[in-house]
Amino acid sequence: MSTQVHANLTEAQVTEISEQLDEPEWLLETRLDALAALDELDMPDVITTPGPRHWTNLVDLDYESLVDPLEWEQEKDRVEAEGADVLAWDEALAEHGDLIEEQFGSVVDPQRDFLTALSTALFSAGTLVYVPEGVAAEDVKIRTTQNSRSLFNYTLVVVEESASATILERQSIGADVEGDQYYSGVVEVVAGENANVQYGALQNLGEDTYNFQVKRGHAADHASVDWIEGNIGSRLTKSSVETRLLGEGSESQIVGAFFGHDDQHFDINSRVWHEHEHTTADLVTRGVLDDEARSVYEGVQDVGTDAWDTSSYQRENTLMLSDDSEADASPKLIINNHDTEASHSATVGQVDAEELFYMTSRGVDEERAKNMLVEGFFVPVLEEVAVDELREDMDELIVERLTE
Amino acid sequence: MSSDQDHLKETDTEARFEFKKEEKSAFEAEKGLTEETIRVISEDKDEPEWMLERRLRALEQYHEMPMPDDWPGAPDISEVDVDEIVPYIRPDIETRGGVDDWNDLPEEIQDTFDKLGIPEAEKNALSGVGAQYESEIVYQNMQERWEEKGVIFCDMDKAVQEHEEIVEEYFMTKAVPPSDNKFAALHGAIWSGGSFVYVPEDTTVDMPVQAYFRMNSDGMGQFEHTLIIAEEGSEVHYIEGCSAPKYSEFNLHSGGVEVFVKEGAHVQYSTVQNWSKNTYNLNTKRAIAEADATMEWVSGSMGSKATMLYPSTILKGPGATDNHITIAMAGEGQDIDTGAKVYHNAPDTKSTIESKSIAKDGGRTNYRGLVHMANGAEGASTSVECDALMFDNDSTSDTMPYMEIQENEVDVAHEATVGKIGDEDVFYLQSRGLDDDDAKQMIVAGFIEPITEELPIEYAVELNRLIELEMEGSLG
Repeated sequence: MSTQVHANLTEAQVTEISEQLDEPEWLLETRLDALAALDELDMPDVITTPGPRHWTNLVDLDYESLVDPLEWEQEKDRVEAEGADVLAWDEALAEHGDLIEEQFGSVVDPQRDFLTALSTALFSAGTLVYVPEGVAAEDVKIRTTQNSRSLFNYTLVVVEESASATILERQSIGADVEGDQYYSGVVEVVAGENANVQYGALQNLGEDTYNFQVKRGHAADHASVDWIEGNIGSRLTKSSVETRLLGEGSESQIVGAFFGHDDQHFDINSRVWHEHEHTTADLVTRGVLDDEARSVYEGVQDVGTDAWDTSSYQRENTLMLSDDSEADASPKLIINNHDTEASHSATVGQVDAEELFYMTSRGVDEERAKNMLVEGFFVPVLEEVAVDELREDMDELIVERLTE
Repeated sequence: MSSDQDHLKETDTEARFEFKKEEKSAFEAEKGLTEETIRVISEDKDEPEWMLERRLRALEQYHEMPMPDDWPGAPDISEVDVDEIVPYIRPDIETRGGVDDWNDLPEEIQDTFDKLGIPEAEKNALSGVGAQYESEIVYQNMQERWEEKGVIFCDMDKAVQEHEEIVEEYFMTKAVPPSDNKFAALHGAIWSGGSFVYVPEDTTVDMPVQAYFRMNSDGMGQFEHTLIIAEEGSEVHYIEGCSAPKYSEFNLHSGGVEVFVKEGAHVQYSTVQNWSKNTYNLNTKRAIAEADATMEWVSGSMGSKATMLYPSTILKGPGATDNHITIAMAGEGQDIDTGAKVYHNAPDTKSTIESKSIAKDGGRTNYRGLVHMANGAEGASTSVECDALMFDNDSTSDTMPYMEIQENEVDVAHEATVGKIGDEDVFYLQSRGLDDDDAKQMIVAGFIEPITEELPIEYAVELNRLIELEMEGSLG
């Protein structure tokens, strides 16, 4: 295991971060434990295809030069909804210390792998979204602008019984950052009984940024946890979006869209575990690749032995615009309960020649026709995005990229 | 349907597959795998020096290579210990290289194949038949009219002697090199028996040729090699059947199949495998299809304790086509890990994969597939369809397709579904007077029909009968 970052990190640095945020002793301990565990932990699993070929190389990244734990700068906008709390980490600890102690690390294991543990030890940008029982929190916004070489972000979302939250997160890069950057984000979502959470994230980081993200939710009885995951920026993205359907009748939808160009690399996972009766999952991802961009996608629908009457669906479509781009896909079904209706499908193709011909024959020039078809390709995914602002932002970024 | 298939309907399949003969062999290699054993096998077969060298090289590679145990969800094959199996048994018959009249076979071997219905099938529907008992071909026949046209169908050992030049060129050099995987290397070291099929240019063999492999002894391994070469514009359909009765120890089957489909040629390779439930079936099968050639794989994987088998085709020439049709059924204690691999290495190549699986009584079926579109395979297209049917909650069914796409002008589609047996369908059939078992059997027959349609009729009947037997066991 690579210990190059660890060599560069000290307990004193971690303690300093913790003190700056006025953290309680247990959290400092959690951070120090994560730091100590770095020696033992492996890099997150990357997608391999038979061979076995590893498409994403995380091990050879120079973390030592990327990570500067004490030099972090960001701009953060938090938009709160009535009746709910959206708090910066120090405020959150002061106001909801017990809640954080109870839930921190309950969804994402702080030592799940090397990069998650690194995040646990070093996160300085933290947010708590707390929605008490019965409250509907619409339009919560968290906008993060990275203004330093590395930034470690952490978000805890706790939505209590019969409450709901719509959260929109954006990550982008400040104009004045030079050289390679590293962005790490961990999101934990706890959805109580009958709660609804929709968490939309739109990543438009700089194209020198190495981006590592884990988003994971637990859904209790009749709760739903829905994710929207838009990936536009970054040089290399390793992203996992996951839901455990732990309660009877719980549901999850994971909607993903990515658009890669130049030599961008996306390693994207969507995973759902059906662990109780009558659960439903729907995974939809669409991606476009241009130039020498590369995507590896893995979607897993895991139906446990106790998950009677499961419905589970997955679609993944990739559109390739250039001959130097590469796409690997592996939509997996793991079925341990026979009372299941499950399906998955995946396609890879190019812009349809006939459609293109039809449009050019109607007087649309070829470039514009192609752009319209690419925009149209994303429509089925964008339609699933209930938050207007997120949908419009995503569409705008897609159009921007097409007309670059 | 003609009366050709009556023997298959009338024969009690259970009796056909579950009987076992007293072992009687002329030569039995020591257990385990050593250079000495390989030298003995090679000498016993009077092989040319190059073949011995290939065997020894493969043995080296076997020792160097790791077990395929790091795959997600792969079957547990840790029990497979080559030191515990007898790699080579020559049955006790006078005639080396097989006889061409069933009546010349020793009575108990004759009896065995009679029960399997092979002689009848030969008379009625086939161009030629080879039968392998343990490690050696014991019967081989080819209808004269094919021989006259230059078609060769003989056992692999004989091919090494009589068609040395062709074998030396193709044998584990291009399609399945021993370096492919640990069991391909094992196979390369101790292969024995199998079939050699050679079809000259522009020759169409319009009736299938068939080989039948049967493992009869306890704790043995079977390593037959099949080499099919279809020259330009030729056409042939090869059928392979396998079975082995049940023993207390485990058996290992590690065959190798290499198919060369030359320009414009067409090869269909059909197999229904019903290994005993203590057999580890770890095979490597690969075809290379040149321009405008067509390769078709039709397979039914019924028996075995664990199967790891992913027939693969390299579409090497423009316009080459590959079709895979597979059906797998796993019952109690069985782990069938199977699928298909297709490499689109040339423009305008096409492939279709249709896979159906049934899991019941704690069995596990897994579709593991790979579609690779190389850069430069413009205009290529593939469609993969997997359907799994599950009977009960002790069973599992997974789908792990992999798609590696390096070319943008392609059309790739994968689709898979998993479902339980429809309560409504069962109810409907029951309300029409069928009992529960019959209703479920009928639904299964309907589920696999797209596959059985592609099989020669006698195999479709056999497959259906095997599935019925499996189902009776579980539902009775």
